[in-house]
Amino acid sequence: MPPTPAIVERPQRWDAAFDPNMTDADVDRLLAIDPFNGMAPENFPKRTPLREILRHDTSIRRYRKGEIIVRQGDYGTSAFLILSGATRVVLKPDLPLSLLGRQSPGKKGIFRTLAQLWSPLRPPESFSRNRLQQDRGVGARANENNEVRVFLQDLPRVLDQHRTEEMIAGDVFGEIAALSRMPRTSTIFASSDTAELLEIRWQGLRDLMRSDDQLRQHINRVYRERALASYLRATPLFRHLSKEQLAQLAEQVEFATYGDYDWSGEYKRLAQAGSVRPEKEPVIVQEGDYPNGVVLLRAGFARVSRKFASGERTLNYLGAGHLFGLPEIAHNFQKPQELIDSRYTLRAIGYTHILIVPTRAMEQIVLPSLPKSEFPPPLSGADKAPDVVEDPHTAGRERIGADTLEFLTTNRFFNGTATMVIDLDRCTRCDDCVRACASTHDNNPRFLRHGPSSGRIMIANACMHCADPVCMIGCPTGAIHRESFAGQVVINPVTCIGCKACANNCPYEAIRMVDIRDSNGEFMLGEDLKPISKATKCDLCVENYGGPACQRACPHGALERMNLNDLDSLADWMKR
Amino acid sequence: MKRFRGQFLLGTFLLLVASVLAIMAHRRWSGVLPAYAYLSGWVLFGAMVLLTIYNARKKLPFLPLGSSETWLQIHVYVGFFTVVLFLIHLNFHVPTGWFEGTLAWLYLLVTGSGVAGLFLSRVLPRRLATRGGEVIYEKIPALRYSIRQQAEALALGGEPKSPAIAEFYTQQLSPFLAGPGRFWSHLVESRRPLNAVMTEIEEFRRYLNEGERGTLEKLRELIRTKDGLDYHYALQKTLKLWLFVHLPLTYSLMIFSLVHIVLVFAFSAGAK
Repeated sequence: MPPTPAIVERPQRWDAAFDPNMTDADVDRLLAIDPFNGMAPENFPKRTPLREILRHDTSIRRYRKGEIIVRQGDYGTSAFLILSGATRVVLKPDLPLSLLGRQSPGKKGIFRTLAQLWSPLRPPESFSRNRLQQDRGVGARANENNEVRVFLQDLPRVLDQHRTEEMIAGDVFGEIAALSRMPRTSTIFASSDTAELLEIRWQGLRDLMRSDDQLRQHINRVYRERALASYLRATPLFRHLSKEQLAQLAEQVEFATYGDYDWSGEYKRLAQAGSVRPEKEPVIVQEGDYPNGVVLLRAGFARVSRKFASGERTLNYLGAGHLFGLPEIAHNFQKPQELIDSRYTLRAIGYTHILIVPTRAMEQIVLPSLPKSEFPPPLSGADKAPDVVEDPHTAGRERIGADTLEFLTTNRFFNGTATMVIDLDRCTRCDDCVRACASTHDNNPRFLRHGPSSGRIMIANACMHCADPVCMIGCPTGAIHRESFAGQVVINPVTCIGCKACANNCPYEAIRMVDIRDSNGEFMLGEDLKPISKATKCDLCVENYGGPACQRACPHGALERMNLNDLDSLADWMKR
Repeated sequence: MKRFRGQFLLGTFLLLVASVLAIMAHRRWSGVLPAYAYLSGWVLFGAMVLLTIYNARKKLPFLPLGSSETWLQIHVYVGFFTVVLFLIHLNFHVPTGWFEGTLAWLYLLVTGSGVAGLFLSRVLPRRLATRGGEVIYEKIPALRYSIRQQAEALALGGEPKSPAIAEFYTQQLSPFLAGPGRFWSHLVESRRPLNAVMTEIEEFRRYLNEGERGTLEKLRELIRTKDGLDYHYALQKTLKLWLFVHLPLTYSLMIFSLVHIVLVFAFSAGAK
């Protein structure tokens, strides 16, 4: 009997409003103010009219004096427009980490490390009350909607000790972080008694940009000024260009986003129903089309595939920093009489933010400056339809095998920069890794030595420290954060309020909520007599010397924490 | 060079060099140095202490003491090297006294269990990865119980009831589903018990109607799943059990060795 397909309702745009409390009066008010009063409703498609975007994709937030609106380093899904009142942006250097809800990076001292030798066995996940003491410079309170807001207790002192700049009604911030899925670059807090802000979620911002030239130009300008120039300078392909050429290039580069910013939620639903299918992913470049430009992946991931029978065969996946389409454009530049089309399809997996360097810009600015030795070799014969030739787009599949590649792609494990990979051919199931983790972390192991497997490779259920850390979106106190710009994702137990936002966001189920205990082993209770929960997960032994204890504890070299966006490392490890 | 091959070649090379040097030293100084037996004994004991503290390293994962993989490599090759040291310390003679005989037997048992453990830890994981799915050892009893519940629901509680299947299940299949079984068969990779049950199922099948055959097919799948669980149970248990042989023997050997040292110093006139 054929298996019965699992039917789930596909989520629709606006099934869930960003803020269900938005009223007609709120929308009318917004339509009367700048910049919405300058937008022409007739320019918006029927499916996404301006009024409905404002109703479903925005929320009016009110902040009291000193309340933090966004933190430097947070991953945000939205931009903000100041409606009334004032806010202040903290200029560098930023506020101390403890004021941002984070723990100071650093290792345990030698004494604390050695003290573990003679310390009595503590109950799992136990804390002394002193250890949970927050920085007195910040406090937390709930607003009328029961949303937790963190506020600066001594605002005059903060203003005195830090350089800040005022932002007033009409100013917009957070749009670049929302569009490019990069961490927020500054901390902003309310500086007037009340500040009213319009928060526009990512989808709404995208739709507004599509239909309003003025907003699009504004964001384009800001993006080019703040983010693009430095990114292009750091891209190896453009390192031979002069300042003037880079400026010309920046003018012509286009940027776009594909997929869904909140991909993790939908992915979790589809994965549980077993219906994740590559054919449903948004196409960035279609196989057989004329190559319009070189695609630079700025954030997120994309799948490279070719038609195979009635479906598509995955050849590789690309992450931030990768290029797509250069061999075809370089070939056409060198052999204009033998033009070829795109050889592969490029699809966004989840969420992808890309830059496109148009073919004309490549031919006029980039390729003439590129040394001959750095040109991709001209394509000929079988190269024009390769599945098995040396090619950056197919090398991944060749080295690790099609099954493993499909496994990693379907489960989106390429997101992990420190994924726990276990070689089942070497693993004796001794659980030394689990015991080592427990010894290092409050007698509570932070992972399960179990998870999906393909062939001899198992991906254990441990935090992968994702390149795209969706768990960091929406933490109200900043407790979950990166230790450094691209470092480990860690949780500060002191400021974690147990809201489960991170655990619910994580598509890999790698974050667990635990009820904490006091030093005597008794569960800690809140004023409502309910247990106090904290989010816990693998922190990659960030406080310990020597690296992750799980990896160091494996006697057989069966466990490795690995960046799965680098398939060469995985291939080398599998063939070690 | 591949990592594991490199480790093997380096370890083997160092082991050979150390062994040749030790034997040359033995031939040069045995009977020449006044306290040669003390020297060889202390070197052997030092190597045994090094081997024993590997277990302590495992208990201290929070200290930066190097990777367990490196420690195991050292443990394995130093372990082999102690065989040479042991023979040198015995001066290539079989010990005669009961105490020395017990000590020698303990040494051989520890070394033998270590070699067996090395063999098992290299062979069994590959076998585990090929059959029975991946399952956590501690969860096996619960999974086994769940399979038995499902089988009983099918055979004894199915609608319409089939007395033939109920009887066949009770007499033929139920023992197969009860508890962990066929430990040695799984260990030696014999599928005879499973094949025997499958043959019985196949022979019984011809007497059933279409509906009953459907039930029997489901039971057959459950039997296969249970066999996979038993397979994992047998192999994973073996991988865990050998250490429970190796470690107590090791500590016994260390205690006997300490007593041996005390006795030697107490009656040092005999140690030349």
